[in-house]
Amino acid sequence: MDNFDTIHFNINGKEKNTFDAIVIGSGISGGWSAKELTEKGLKTLLLERGRNVEHIKDYPTTNMMPWEFDHRERLPLDVIKENPIVSKCYNFKESAAHFFVKDKEHPYVQEKPFDWIRGYQVGGKSLLWARQTQRWSKYDFEGPARDGFAVEWPISYDDIAPWYSHVERFAGISGNKDGLDILPDGDFLPPHELNCVEQYFSKKVADHYKGNRHIIIGRCAHITQPQPIHLEQGRAKCQHRVICERGCPFGGYFASNSSTIPWAMKTGNLTLKTDSIVHSIIYDDKKGKAVGVRVIDAKTQATTDYFAKIIFVNASALNTNLILLNSKSRRFPNGLGNDSGVLGKYVAFHNYRAGISGTFEGYLDKKTEGRRPNGGYIPRFRNVYKQETDFLRGYAAGFSAGRGTVSDRSGWGADLKNGLFQDKYGPWYVGSHMMGETIPKETNYVALDPELKDPFGMPQLRIHVEYDDNDDKMVKDYIEQMTEMFEMAGFTNIRTRDDHRNPGLDIHEMGGVRMGKNPKTSILNKWNQVHAAPNVFVTDGACMTSTSTQNPSLTYMALSARAANYAVEELKRKNL
Amino acid sequence: MHRRDALRSLTGLLGAAVAIPSWAQAWTPSALEEPKLLGSTQKKVLTGMVDAILPKTDTPGAAELGVQRFVELMVQDCYEGPQRDLLKDGLDRLEAEAKNSKGKSFADLKGTERLELIQKWASGPDKSNRDFTQLVKDLTIHGYVNSEYVMTHITKYELVPARYLGCVPV
Repeated sequence: MDNFDTIHFNINGKEKNTFDAIVIGSGISGGWSAKELTEKGLKTLLLERGRNVEHIKDYPTTNMMPWEFDHRERLPLDVIKENPIVSKCYNFKESAAHFFVKDKEHPYVQEKPFDWIRGYQVGGKSLLWARQTQRWSKYDFEGPARDGFAVEWPISYDDIAPWYSHVERFAGISGNKDGLDILPDGDFLPPHELNCVEQYFSKKVADHYKGNRHIIIGRCAHITQPQPIHLEQGRAKCQHRVICERGCPFGGYFASNSSTIPWAMKTGNLTLKTDSIVHSIIYDDKKGKAVGVRVIDAKTQATTDYFAKIIFVNASALNTNLILLNSKSRRFPNGLGNDSGVLGKYVAFHNYRAGISGTFEGYLDKKTEGRRPNGGYIPRFRNVYKQETDFLRGYAAGFSAGRGTVSDRSGWGADLKNGLFQDKYGPWYVGSHMMGETIPKETNYVALDPELKDPFGMPQLRIHVEYDDNDDKMVKDYIEQMTEMFEMAGFTNIRTRDDHRNPGLDIHEMGGVRMGKNPKTSILNKWNQVHAAPNVFVTDGACMTSTSTQNPSLTYMALSARAANYAVEELKRKNL
Repeated sequence: MHRRDALRSLTGLLGAAVAIPSWAQAWTPSALEEPKLLGSTQKKVLTGMVDAILPKTDTPGAAELGVQRFVELMVQDCYEGPQRDLLKDGLDRLEAEAKNSKGKSFADLKGTERLELIQKWASGPDKSNRDFTQLVKDLTIHGYVNSEYVMTHITKYELVPARYLGCVPV
């Protein structure tokens, strides 16, 4: 299909297929691109490969009680066997399975084991995400340059800080102003509470490590105190149901469906087309620029071309790689913008292999009440100010404590009934999971399969991503350090794990279309523009030069808003 | 599942902690699709087991809440072949045991007699008898604890807690 001479006739209605901007993907970053572009007056085509999911209307399980699920949220065995990959995901359950991609429908090639977890519908994975939102600090952006891996980031914390504020205010981000340089404070709504054991652990750790390690309440995308901007979006205070993955009728957490997409619709400038799979970005060799996208109808397989002055690629990290690799022209025989040869390379992810749990016999006169869509957070404390360990970079971690009533299942009959429902409380349970930075390498890459196609005629993606020595050392350190901290705090029954899960199950895969100062070693410049095709912007996970430890979605949102505003300014200046 | 639509619109999108109206408490298992794993005698034995494991006291028993349907459905849909065989064979053998030792079908025995047979197997020397009674017990507990009646009246599940308090007295 490498026919660079194809003339893109679109005799019937090229006008109606022409927009000011095209956004590929309606997930957490694409929704932001569309919102910013339409707000600035651009007629924008938002292409979503999956079906529509309209806020409230299309959340079929959101008000169901636990007993209304036939299998109490467990999935039937035939579903699990049909979906060996996605059924590893904690959120793939009876209440939310309909928002996940099924293995057979979207095949890919695992050159090394990789669990690629996807959500193809309007809103994408913004319906399913864990809603944890931390800002990067300058120590994160400076990482590659200081430690000599990947390439230098072309932006600094100062460049992105105002855009973090911009997206935090609109999305509704709750957090505590902790005053830590390693994890900058944001524009926060009131924080959730840490419970008594979490507060206890926080104080013990602060004292013991002399203020070098912190346990803080998570920063998360939940409305704890609605501001006028949230009410204007039609969103209300989070009700602590903690069944977010079903979609929230209150709009209590941030998702494209409840927030950015309806907002973009209100401008009158948005055209949303679902079931529209982008095959490639059309590069006009004669004009010397990208002019539009070729779309495959997911239902009929018919192709249609759409045209625009600027194109935002927000198809989710690896799909964005796929689209660019598949966008071949005389100018770019190896994929759009791929003069450097690094397209598809330096893919990385987050190391979620390790965890620790224990019990605590303190605060036995206290409990919690209600539910909390959030937990405690331990910002990275390794190698922050200088290189100190036998591995590069470090890990952040979650930390939570909880307590339930005692349930004795040993009896039978009336005794069993009495044993099951007691007013007594058991010990506190404590737990933590690791979120480690991984080093992007040339040998971790994605590529197009030369022969295999998916059911839509697109080349299948070959994924070659694996752990390395640095990851193994980091797991060891996390287990040692957390064990030390748990023991110091008097936690007992300590159990640690390295579950050796495949990369991908973190659902934080990034890179392949990295930002950088030098077009010889990167694809994007400091404005997320493709160096060699400046009217194409990439602002989803694919753009990430390094991964750091933070949950990445907030950074994707900020980069999207920043790049979209720059794109509009460039259009006004007639540079695009 | 159509009756749930009316219920859903009642509890509404505002999701206040509305008490379930009385007509919904008369939910009968017959309104739901029947699992097809067990034959009619096996179903009777299972009902007898479920009733003995969690009988009616001053609160409903597991059988009157239809937990036997949940047990059968879970084993049918969510468990592998060996577990499904374990359930079916166990029910057949328990029926045979009732006839041999008490001269009656298992379902016709009194609750105390049924429980006596179950407990004998649960602590006895035969591993598959122990595994079988444990499987039924675990799923009976699971179905009971997660039933509408128990979650509404005993454990008082809140769909919409609207709060999190991190440190309150027990």
